[in-house]
Amino acid sequence: MNNQPLIRLKAITKRFKGVIANDAVDFDLYPGEVHTLLGENGAGKSTLMHILSGLVQPDSGSIEIRGESVNIRSPYDSLRHGIGMVYQHFALVPNLTVIENIILGFEEGLILNRKRTESVLKQIFKEFELSLPLDEKISNLSVGERQRVEIAKALFHRSDVLILDEPTSVLTPIESEELFNTVFSMRRMGKAVVFITHKLKETIGISDRISILKLGKKVAEMSGEDLRQVGEEEGYRRIFDVMFDNTQLPKDTTTIKRSSEEMPILELDQVVCLGNFGEMRLKKLSLKLNKGEIFGIAGVDGNGQKELAEILAGQRKVVSGRLILDGNDITHEEGAGTRTDLGISYITDDRMQEGCALSMSVAENSILRLFKRPPFSRRKIMNKANINRHAEALIREFDIKVSGPDVDVGTLSGGNIQKILLARELSLHPKVLVCNKPTQGLDAKTTRYVKDRLQQESVRGTAVLFISSDLDELLSCSDRIGVLYDGELLDIVNRCDANRENIGKLMLGIRQ
Amino acid sequence: MLFEEALFVTVLASTLRGSMPMLLAALGETYAESAGILNLGIEGMMVAGAFASFLVGLQTNMVPLGFLGAAIIGAVLGGIIGFLVIGLRLNQIVVGLGMTVFTSAFCNLLHRIIFGSQFPMLWGAGMTTEIPVLSKIPIIGQPLFNQHWLVYVTLALVPVLYFLLYRTSLGLRIRAVGETPWAADASGVNVYGIRYLTIILAGVLASTGGAFLAIGDLAFFIPDMVKGRGYIAIVVVMLGRWNPIKVFLGSLLFGFALSLTSALQVAGLKVSPDFILTMPYLVVILTLIIIAKSTSLPAALCVPYKRGE
Repeated sequence: MNNQPLIRLKAITKRFKGVIANDAVDFDLYPGEVHTLLGENGAGKSTLMHILSGLVQPDSGSIEIRGESVNIRSPYDSLRHGIGMVYQHFALVPNLTVIENIILGFEEGLILNRKRTESVLKQIFKEFELSLPLDEKISNLSVGERQRVEIAKALFHRSDVLILDEPTSVLTPIESEELFNTVFSMRRMGKAVVFITHKLKETIGISDRISILKLGKKVAEMSGEDLRQVGEEEGYRRIFDVMFDNTQLPKDTTTIKRSSEEMPILELDQVVCLGNFGEMRLKKLSLKLNKGEIFGIAGVDGNGQKELAEILAGQRKVVSGRLILDGNDITHEEGAGTRTDLGISYITDDRMQEGCALSMSVAENSILRLFKRPPFSRRKIMNKANINRHAEALIREFDIKVSGPDVDVGTLSGGNIQKILLARELSLHPKVLVCNKPTQGLDAKTTRYVKDRLQQESVRGTAVLFISSDLDELLSCSDRIGVLYDGELLDIVNRCDANRENIGKLMLGIRQ
Repeated sequence: MLFEEALFVTVLASTLRGSMPMLLAALGETYAESAGILNLGIEGMMVAGAFASFLVGLQTNMVPLGFLGAAIIGAVLGGIIGFLVIGLRLNQIVVGLGMTVFTSAFCNLLHRIIFGSQFPMLWGAGMTTEIPVLSKIPIIGQPLFNQHWLVYVTLALVPVLYFLLYRTSLGLRIRAVGETPWAADASGVNVYGIRYLTIILAGVLASTGGAFLAIGDLAFFIPDMVKGRGYIAIVVVMLGRWNPIKVFLGSLLFGFALSLTSALQVAGLKVSPDFILTMPYLVVILTLIIIAKSTSLPAALCVPYKRGE
C-alpha cells in the first residue's frame, strides 16, 4: 500500500433539512485497496459517497485527491478526478444502447467514432473479464448486466476509484461472485474500490478495510484481514458490537414447531401461467399450503417466483390448472381486490412502484386495500378521522419512523415503506400472505423485524408463502422450503432436512 | 379535372411551401422534446416570428433582415421559456400556453397600434430563387426547384439535424438529458446547458417558421395567420418520433392537406369551403388515431431537473 492516499475526506458534514447525514466523517482510500463502508440504512454511507461523486455538496469539510485539496462541485468534476461511481439505482439511460451509455459524457470529438470506442472497450472487457452486448438497449438488460455496464463505463473513463453503492442487493448469488471477481481484478490493477453495503458476510470476505458508519458518524475502522483471521463468528460479533451498541448478534430464533397436523388452506393444482412475452413461466405447478406454516420458495431469480406470487395475488391469469382456497375454486376470481376480499394478501417485491403510491400519505397508503369499507368510507365519502386513527395505530404498532400519518410515503426510507406495506397487509388479517423478497434492501434491524412479524403471523394461523433469493433467510424461518427451477417445483424439503447444500443444488436444477 | 398537370404542379409546389413553417417549428421542437422540454409556446413563437419579420422587413425595407429579426426574437423567447422551466422549474405546460396566449395577443395589439386596420404589403417578400438546370426539368422542375431560398435551407437542415441528433456526441447528450437527466448529470453532462441550447434552438426555428409564413410564402402579416400550425408541429414531432427525417415526412403530409384545401377550393368542388378548411385538422386527428397508438415520450418530458432530488 502506498503511503499517500488517493483520496482523503476530512471532517465531512452534511445536513438534509435539519437531519444530520454525515457528522465530521473522515475517510481515506489508498490505491489497490477495497474499502468497505458498512452501516444500516440511513447511516450516511451513500451521502458520503455522493459527496465524493459530486451529486451532493457538503456543508463543511475538505476533500484531497492525491494530496491536493480539491473542490468537487458536480459529477463532472468528480469524473475528471478519476472517480467512477456505480449508483444503487444505475445512472443509465434505459432507451440508449450499452455503448451509448458507456461513452456518454466521455465522447471524443463531435462525431461519434464507433470503431475506436469498440476497440478500447474490447481491451477493457478482456482485461477485466467482462462481456456485454454493445448494441442492446439498457432496458432489455438484466440488473446484473446493467451493473456491469456501469462498471465498464467507469473503466472506460479510466477511473482510478470505483465506488459501488450496495451492488449486491440486486444481484443473484452467482452474479455477486462475478462482481467480486471483477472487484479483485481491479484491485490487482492498483485501482481503489469503495464498497457500500449493509451485508456483513460479504463485507468480511472482500474488504481490506472496513469503516463503519452509524447515524452519520464514523464509529469504527477495522482491518478485513484481522476479521478473517479471527473466524467468521467472532468477526460478525465484532462488527455487530459496534453497529448495534453491543447488543447481541441477532440470532434467528427457532420458533417452536407448531401442531403437526396439516390443514391445507390453499392448494395449487397443476397451475400453468405465462410470462409477459407469452413464454411459459409456471409448468403444472402443484403445491399445498398449510395453515400456520411458513412455506419458503427458494430459487435463482427469474425461475417463476414473480409469476407465482402474481397468480396468487390475482394479478396474472392462470392458463390451466386450479387454485383452491379453503375448499373453494378461486381460479377465475381474479383481480387484486377480489383476492384481498377472499383473504389473500400480497407484499410485492417492487415496493416503490407497485407496493404503494409514493406521492400519497402514509394514512392513504395504509387503507389502499380497505378504503371502500366502513369505517373508512361510507357511501363513497372518505372518513379522514377514522383513516388517520387507523394509520396512527399502525404507525405505533409497527414502529414506523414518521412524524405523522399525513407525510408522503415517498419521503420515507425503504425500510419504513416496507413496514407500511407489511402493516397494511397484516391489518387485513389474511388467511394467506404471499410475500416476495420482503427483506430485500432492508437493514439488519428491519429485516429482523419483518421476519419476526411473519413468524408471529404464522403462529396466529396465517399461511405464509415466503419467496426469497436469500437462502440463509429461508433456512432460518421456513417450515418447509420448495425450490422453484424453470417454472417447476423441483422438490419440497422439510426444515429439519434442509441445508445450504441440498437447497443450493436444487436451485441449480440438480435433483438428488 | 382534379388530376390535370397544372393542378398537380400547383399542389406539389404549395405542399412543399405550405409544409415549411410546420417543418421548421417541428425540427426545433424535436430537439427541445428530445432534451425533455415540451414547448407549448411554439405557436406564440411562430406568431412573434411572423410579426417581427414583417415589422423589421418593412422598417428596414430589407427582407433578409426580417428573417434575422425573427430568429433573434425566437432566441429571446426560447431563452425566457428556458429560464422559467429550467431555471425556475415552473410547469412547462403552463409556461408554454402562457407564452402562446401572451405573444399572440401582444403581436395583435402591436399590429393594431402600428398599422390600425391596414394590412400593408412588404414589397420584395415572397420571391423565389430558381435553381439553374434543375428547374428546367419537365413538370417537377418548377414546383421543386423554383422555391424560396429558405425552402432549400430547411430541406438541407433535415439531414443535418438528423445526423447531429443521432450520430454525434451532442445528440447523444441531448437524448440522454431528455430520457434520464440525473444519469446524464452523473455522467458529467451539463443538463441545464443542453436544455437551454435546445429550447433556444426551438425558439429560433419556430420563429423562423413563422417568418416564412409572413415574408417567405406571403408578403404581409395578419394576426391569426399561424392558425394552429405550431400545435400541428407538436403532433408532427410525436408522429415522427423525434426523428428529423420522419418529422419531415409528417410535415409534408400536413402541407399536402393544407395545399389540398386551396386546390379543392380552386377546383370548385361543391362542398362548403368551411368544411374544406377543416381538412388539415381532420388529418391530424386521423393520423393520430392510426399511427400514434404506441408513442413513447421521452421519459423526462415536462419533468424539471434538480440535482440530488
